[in-house]
Amino acid sequence: MESTTKQASSRKRDQAASLNSRKTGGFWKLFKQQRYLYLMSVPFVIWAFIFSYVPLWGWLMAFQEYKPARSFFDQKWVGFDQFITLFQDQQFYLALRNTLAMSFLGLIFGFIFPVIFAILLNEVRGMVFKRTVQTVSYLPHFVSWVVVAGIVTKALSTDGGIINELLVSLHIIDQPIQFMAQGQWFWGIVTASDVWKEMGWSTIIYLAAITGIDQEQYEASRVDGAGRFRQMWHITLPGMRTTIIVLLIMSIGHLVSIGFEKQFLLGNNLVTDYSQVLDLYALKYGLEMNRYSYGTAISIFNSVISIILLFTANGIFKKTTKESIM
Amino acid sequence: MPSKLFRYALAPLVVMSLVTATACGGSDPTEQETSDPSTPITISFFGSDASPTWNNMKDDVGQAITKATNVTINAEYDVSGGGTQKIALMTASGEYPDMIFPKGSITKLVEAGALIDLTDLIDKYGPNIKKVYGDDLSRLKYSKEDPSIYVIPTNAGVGQTTFDAGGGFEVQNAVMKELGYPKIKTVKDFENVLKEYKEKHPTINGQPTIPLSLNADDWKIMITVTNPAFNATGAPDDGEFYINPETYEAQLHYKRPEEKEYFRWLNHMYNEGLLDPETFTQKSDQYMSKIASGRVLGLIDQEWDYQQAENSLKTSGMAERTYGHYPVQLDEKTKDRSFQDIGAPVGYGIGITTSAKDPIRIIKFMDWMASDEAQVLNNWGVEGKQYEVKDGKRVVPAAVQERKVNDNTNFTKESGIGMYNFSVRYGDGVKDPGGNYYTTNFPEQIIAGYTDPEKETLKAYGAKTWKDLFPQKDEFPVKAWGAAYNLPAPDDPNYTVNFQKSQDIVRKRIPEAILASPDQFDKIYDQMIAEISTDDMKKMEAEYTQMIKDTVELWGEAPAAK
Repeated sequence: MESTTKQASSRKRDQAASLNSRKTGGFWKLFKQQRYLYLMSVPFVIWAFIFSYVPLWGWLMAFQEYKPARSFFDQKWVGFDQFITLFQDQQFYLALRNTLAMSFLGLIFGFIFPVIFAILLNEVRGMVFKRTVQTVSYLPHFVSWVVVAGIVTKALSTDGGIINELLVSLHIIDQPIQFMAQGQWFWGIVTASDVWKEMGWSTIIYLAAITGIDQEQYEASRVDGAGRFRQMWHITLPGMRTTIIVLLIMSIGHLVSIGFEKQFLLGNNLVTDYSQVLDLYALKYGLEMNRYSYGTAISIFNSVISIILLFTANGIFKKTTKESIM
Repeated sequence: MPSKLFRYALAPLVVMSLVTATACGGSDPTEQETSDPSTPITISFFGSDASPTWNNMKDDVGQAITKATNVTINAEYDVSGGGTQKIALMTASGEYPDMIFPKGSITKLVEAGALIDLTDLIDKYGPNIKKVYGDDLSRLKYSKEDPSIYVIPTNAGVGQTTFDAGGGFEVQNAVMKELGYPKIKTVKDFENVLKEYKEKHPTINGQPTIPLSLNADDWKIMITVTNPAFNATGAPDDGEFYINPETYEAQLHYKRPEEKEYFRWLNHMYNEGLLDPETFTQKSDQYMSKIASGRVLGLIDQEWDYQQAENSLKTSGMAERTYGHYPVQLDEKTKDRSFQDIGAPVGYGIGITTSAKDPIRIIKFMDWMASDEAQVLNNWGVEGKQYEVKDGKRVVPAAVQERKVNDNTNFTKESGIGMYNFSVRYGDGVKDPGGNYYTTNFPEQIIAGYTDPEKETLKAYGAKTWKDLFPQKDEFPVKAWGAAYNLPAPDDPNYTVNFQKSQDIVRKRIPEAILASPDQFDKIYDQMIAEISTDDMKKMEAEYTQMIKDTVELWGEAPAAK
């Protein structure tokens, strides 16, 4: 895998060099050569333009006091008022803290577990067993969060919930614990259910990366007397590195926009201080109150933070590991 | 060569156009612009209340309506109830159904200019609507500044005499029977009953007995946790506010010192182990399944909230586990005001949106739904199927009645009775020209609808219906502003944002206070009061006060309620 990317990048460099030397005429020549490729990409460029760039027009709303059913020119312009209100609201900071906390937890555990799981699964010899485990582990991915939330609440219930029954019968605790009523448990519960649901699914891509590793490397290391753990450490993990880093950078870009399904469905009134996330906040204080402008201001804030995070992460990895997505 | 080039370019385009074609395939070809009642028309509708028994007009009543009017209702109901999110999306996109039941979100629709003024339409095409509503039509005016009529009230009947109670505090009939029907007047009596029975029966059907459970999932926390606080302390229901009957001054009702004592009692119940510790973490379905298992002895809820669980108790042969309603108060000084008169009904209703292609046809349909024929159809069902006429009297056959009581959900789905409240209608206790009641809720029918254990309990208290146990309407004055929760709330952000904030605080702090140790209760509750007494909150209350005053003034111009 690594070798192919290297080849590709060297080819790119050659093309760039030839482009520079021959200037415009060269470009047209190249364009003519690759016209089918260009043509095929046109619809997707249009698609990206319509769905990703045209909606940016709506960002103007954040600088207005938007009222529905009124034309664009009849709206009242308020400058940065929406942002000022946003940054003065205590709840916004709480929501920001919760969002970042849960997404960092999700990022860390959502990476470590699938990677370990993929490596372990790769070492399994019995093909039938391996396939069965893989299928079973990614099935929860297809279960909707509504159902998962139901399962989790039931399992953690004090009224016959399986976790409490187990802990009590093992004499680890005397009284059932009210898991869902404790704010400090909430982040953990969300992260754990997320890992349970998505681990198997995320594993697939790592398994694919592992399949791409040259078997000769393993053979060579065996000849040199490397044990299985040495092979994992020195061959499998480095072989997956590119995939891991690309996925990591992309998920860092999504850190602030983690959605609100989990928090909305698992939360309750007692844990709102820990379960309120930015999207939920935008829904409640923006959309549900017809404050479209305020909601837009929140989403602009989200996008700006996402872009900053993405570029920072990309830059750091580019410097330290020479891997990057841009 | 060009053909090859063309092919390459075309391939992705074809795929994409296919995708868009399927995505846009939702438009309805049956929609036609005509007021002619003989052409079939489909009217789209959105209802803000969940309606799990809606059967797409495949039921008997629905078929009869389509036959008579050529109208098919394409209805969508909000899943969790409330409709706020859905309606916010509608106003953002500008796409509305033809007819809408917006509940509290009516202000958003009016603000967005989405509802049409029905005043002239009713005047021209609504003889039945005018007949049913009578002189009180002016009460439908939206506000002092905007005297248009935007909705026709559908969830309150005109001339309604309520014959049965569905609220108060509930205790299983089996519990009352075993304890010899003690008097239940105060929360202490209620507590003792639950405690005594629990000590005698630590388990029911093999599972631990739950003396009292509440439903605090999302907005239901208002129904079973915060509303009972004013109900049990002698105040009427005005939503989240308490309105001073003399000065019309509005304040968040949790600020009343009596209510603090009510919550202190709940705190005590929790610390005694009588309140289900999962009260504030369980979801509605968990709450329902606990009730349906028959092991929850007491509730503080409204019947419509736990109805489905009670139906399932009846279906599974545990009728003795159904609940009776008692007007429990914090102490003997106050009276339950559930039945205080709110004057002519105004309230949540159905409006026609600007998206409707043929408002005249729709108002004609709504007018037909207000006719005697349609009201009887909606309330009684189809003649010969769900009811019979004997000597000029409408009678429900025993077999139908039996299903109505014990298999209500399926019965409603098949018959469609009560599912078509699409227009103004008479309430319980009003008789048609033939001397029959419009609705099936009249004393004899209500009593026929009780299960045997319910009848037994009522007999023991010398009552015919649950309502007999409650203080009656003539014990209180008529409320000049109706019921505040029915009025459109102010729409400017100073009100909405601060109101939402107060709700966030209350819904967080009250559970916290109830689940605290008794010595912590005061600290948490007082802190909450401080948090909802800031200047912003006071401004919000002042704005609400003004709205109440305006309403009283607006209605004062109208002929007085009879």
